[in-house]
Amino acid sequence: MKTYSDIRSFMSAGWLQGAIPPILLVVLILIIEIAAPGFLSGETLMLLLSNTAVLFILAAGVTFVILIGGIDLSIQAVASLASVILAQLLPRIGLWAFPVAILSGLVFGILSGYVHVRLKVPSFVATLATGGVVAGIALWIADGRAITIEEGGRANTAWINGTVAGIPAVVLIATLIGLVAFFAMRYTRFGRYSLAVGAGEPAALAAGINVPRTKITAFAVSGMLAAIAGTILAARLSSGSPNLANQLLLPAIAAVIVGGTAITGGLGGVARTAVGALIISIVRIGMTFVGINIFAENVVFGSVLILAVAITIDRSKIAIIK
Amino acid sequence: MLSAHSITKSFAGVPALKGVSLEIRPNEVVGLIGENGAGKSTLMRVFAGTHQPDGGTLTRDGQPVRLRNARDGAANGIGMVFQEQSLLLNLSVAENIYLGQESQFVRFGLVDWKAMRCAARRQLDKIGVDIDVTARTSELTFAARQMVELAKALTLEETIARPLVILLDEPTSVLSGSDIEILFNRVRSLKSRASFVFVSHRLDEVLRISDRVYTMKDGEVVAEHRASDISGPELHKIMVGRGLHTAYYKEDRQLPPRDEVLVDATDLGAGDTFSHVDLKIHAGEIVGIAGVVGSGREEVTRTIGGFMSHTEGSLKIMGEAVHFRSPEQAVRRSIGYIPRERRLEGLVMFLSIAENISLADLSAVTKNGLINYHAERALATDWISRLHIKAPGPDIACRKLSGGNQQKVVLARWMTAGSRILILDHPTRGLDVGAKEEVYELVRELSRQGVAILLISDTLEETIGLSHRVIVMRDGAVTARFDAAPGNKPDQVDVVRAMV
Repeated sequence: MKTYSDIRSFMSAGWLQGAIPPILLVVLILIIEIAAPGFLSGETLMLLLSNTAVLFILAAGVTFVILIGGIDLSIQAVASLASVILAQLLPRIGLWAFPVAILSGLVFGILSGYVHVRLKVPSFVATLATGGVVAGIALWIADGRAITIEEGGRANTAWINGTVAGIPAVVLIATLIGLVAFFAMRYTRFGRYSLAVGAGEPAALAAGINVPRTKITAFAVSGMLAAIAGTILAARLSSGSPNLANQLLLPAIAAVIVGGTAITGGLGGVARTAVGALIISIVRIGMTFVGINIFAENVVFGSVLILAVAITIDRSKIAIIK
Repeated sequence: MLSAHSITKSFAGVPALKGVSLEIRPNEVVGLIGENGAGKSTLMRVFAGTHQPDGGTLTRDGQPVRLRNARDGAANGIGMVFQEQSLLLNLSVAENIYLGQESQFVRFGLVDWKAMRCAARRQLDKIGVDIDVTARTSELTFAARQMVELAKALTLEETIARPLVILLDEPTSVLSGSDIEILFNRVRSLKSRASFVFVSHRLDEVLRISDRVYTMKDGEVVAEHRASDISGPELHKIMVGRGLHTAYYKEDRQLPPRDEVLVDATDLGAGDTFSHVDLKIHAGEIVGIAGVVGSGREEVTRTIGGFMSHTEGSLKIMGEAVHFRSPEQAVRRSIGYIPRERRLEGLVMFLSIAENISLADLSAVTKNGLINYHAERALATDWISRLHIKAPGPDIACRKLSGGNQQKVVLARWMTAGSRILILDHPTRGLDVGAKEEVYELVRELSRQGVAILLISDTLEETIGLSHRVIVMRDGAVTARFDAAPGNKPDQVDVVRAMV
């Protein structure tokens, strides 16, 4: 007879070996296909992918931090700040507003990493605090309001809302970022060191890895990708706002964990996060199908995150959960 | 009073106790000695109820008992004073003494702290020490904490009608000479009310306090003596077991070191852990440091490995003065560290053999800054066959390997990185005899290739057998130096004399 713990350990292994999330994704697609044949094709498919793009870019960034065994709670604030910077600077400096906005994410990512590593503040506290600081700055410079990107600015954001060979530009951007992140994780020293730090920091240190630099780099990547996500969001909505990305932290982290990256670090990757982000997007569509109020979606994502962590967490690795 | 009959216990298939039988009689102090890994602490934990034996029985006053946890142990009048002190440093002395037993002081759902303090005061009076029961435990000295632990163990007297058995697991390892004397006096005066088991590797102390002494080796009791019938050196010989096997440590392959000095420490010191250490290691030379826990030898190796920074003196690696702030800097200076905690510091257990081998120096398997997985696997496959690593392939996670094979992966990593200086911190801990021998062979081969090796080890035998020279440390200072050329190895008794 299968006991609860047998089932749990089977699910945990399947999930973390990366087998279950793709199966789950296919099952979800089939369900949608049966419920509404032809829904996942043509325009609606492109819309689904476009909507997934921002979530994926955010989640890809935070994947790096989760892989080293940390967490980045500042990403939604960083993304919102980037949207505000973009909206404010587009009329004045045109396309240069993009690199400036993205740079702000990089700077605050490095700051979070620095606070975590050098001041030895746990990453959830460090990023909670820097996230608060960043959110405050965003409110301050936006004077607490949403800033509409006017006609003049929109000329510079049109390329993001356009298509290339029938594929939305945002999907292409997300794909490009995904590929770069995937190769960085798999083929560079930084990627290998990240896995080693996440899977066994003392051993990584003893092997001569520069652990502080590896960690700070992971936070820098997370901040930068969050800012990119924020600029894309602003361009799509033609508006920058200090609250723009406020509902995205939970789905982003849920996407990482549901995709099969271990919350304890050392195991997972960006490809899995792509699967996770698609699962989250399809669940979101499914909720509208079955008539769940869209305002309640974070109720579902919160539950999904708890369930995914409860299933996948390796209790042999962590004796005491705090 | 308390006896063990053929107790066996294994951890992950490695036997720690192989059929241990011994007996503790009323009003006596029983000494228990043995080298690290002999099974002393495991046996104590079986008595205390924190470990459950795989086989055999425990009897208390002739009745078989089963101890499922520490609470069962306490219910049978068995108290333990732990090696790693078990007090919570953020609590007061009184709170620690009655931790887990607060219910006796509860009045109307609230703890009567005053009553607890009075009771704690009485417990401390029993052993005749004057410690403020309201003091925060972190403010006490180690010696005072040990007394609090003893008082805590003695609270069992109030609930248990029969005489107690108190287990003292290495209680003297953190105490200074005069504090040890105070502890011994307490034990002697309490002997009329309780029996004690005294675990230590300091033989002179064991002989001074004990009535009878059991010697353990490799999970078995190998001897029992009346303390008055045997001397320290005799006991040491029994504890270590065999004489020196020259073949075991491949002494015939011990070659004279080269002229080049790779490690040169002068007057080296770090905080209050060690000071004025002079240490030279030549290419191809193995230098062993002997010393007990707390002698400072661990810190010397951690300093040269870059885990600690020195605060005094100078350290030269291959002729250049260095001041390490991280292991990364040491690795760049061609130093490799093989830690005792193989599963924690040696390997990233969840990564594969191939990934662990290349971890310290990815340059051998990267092209244009990108990792070449094909080259990485080929490198690992090569090491697997050269070092006879038993593994199905290079992609296997290191946690699935046996201890000996894991150690070979660590060595392969440093050989890949081209390390010219290796620090071996208990390189054979937890390995079986065959695996040990393979490690010795590798160490000799590395030495032949001109690698400078700094060795600290669980057993003196191994330190002396492998090394060209042996340095002895005590209380953070070098107390003796021995030449250990083949055929002219120092006597263990002489080395021990400098250690304690």
